[in-house]
Amino acid sequence: MSTLSIGGQQLDASWFLLLSAILFVLGAVGVLVRRNPLVILICIELMLNAANLALVTFSRQLQNIEGQLFALMSMTVAAAEAVVGLAILVDIFRARDVEDVDDLSELKG
Amino acid sequence: MAIAVFFFFAALAIVGGVGVVTFHQPIRSVLSLVVVMLSLSVMFLLLSAQFVFAVQIIVYAGAVMVLFLFVIALLGPARELGRGRLRFQASLSILFVLALFGVMYALIQGIEYRQPDQADLSFFGSVQSIAVGLFTTYLYPFELTSILLLVAAIGAIYLSRKRIDDL
Repeated sequence: MSTLSIGGQQLDASWFLLLSAILFVLGAVGVLVRRNPLVILICIELMLNAANLALVTFSRQLQNIEGQLFALMSMTVAAAEAVVGLAILVDIFRARDVEDVDDLSELKG
Repeated sequence: MAIAVFFFFAALAIVGGVGVVTFHQPIRSVLSLVVVMLSLSVMFLLLSAQFVFAVQIIVYAGAVMVLFLFVIALLGPARELGRGRLRFQASLSILFVLALFGVMYALIQGIEYRQPDQADLSFFGSVQSIAVGLFTTYLYPFELTSILLLVAAIGAIYLSRKRIDDL
């Protein structure tokens, strides 16, 4: 167990990691269970955020700035992913009304 | 004080995460995700990552979420039907995800933390320390992310253009 001294109080690093794991698992449930493609993108964002929390926690525990730098890079990648994913989604919705990802199971234009 | 703040915002983040998964209207999922992101930004502040905190609020809770809201406004309020092609998908996926959580929990319990060299916490996580890392050791990945953003912007414009045959 490793305690972080924050504002004069001791917080355990594994609490932050546990919160990160819970949020990641919630996002994974959403990706697997939900049918709306937009909500699946939202759940992927939730998982990326959970991963960022783990990165920043380890960065603070090791007092090494590289974890925070990597979290910033992953935020950039998440923003690019959201932009391209939403553009593809808008393009699909323009062609036809999709309310279920399984409606898009064929590889035809 | 710090412990109370941690547990309040951790509970808020988990409630928001449950909301993201369970709300049937996408607009409510997006607003729950904003709650999660604001709670996580408080976590970053507790972990003395001030710059990541600011970026989280401006880029994530600001820009990315507004993008999602725009797309929902564009597509109209789609409600989700409760059917699936695979009958056992929901229950099976929850089972597998619980197994994943068990593995992650075991990993967290098994981590052997290395005691760090004591760094100056007033400097750690500030804009200066981020910039020193970003513009010296990690200059090459930093430039690559700018190219990635450019490619993503061009791709989004190309995908959402008006087709000639639509006119």
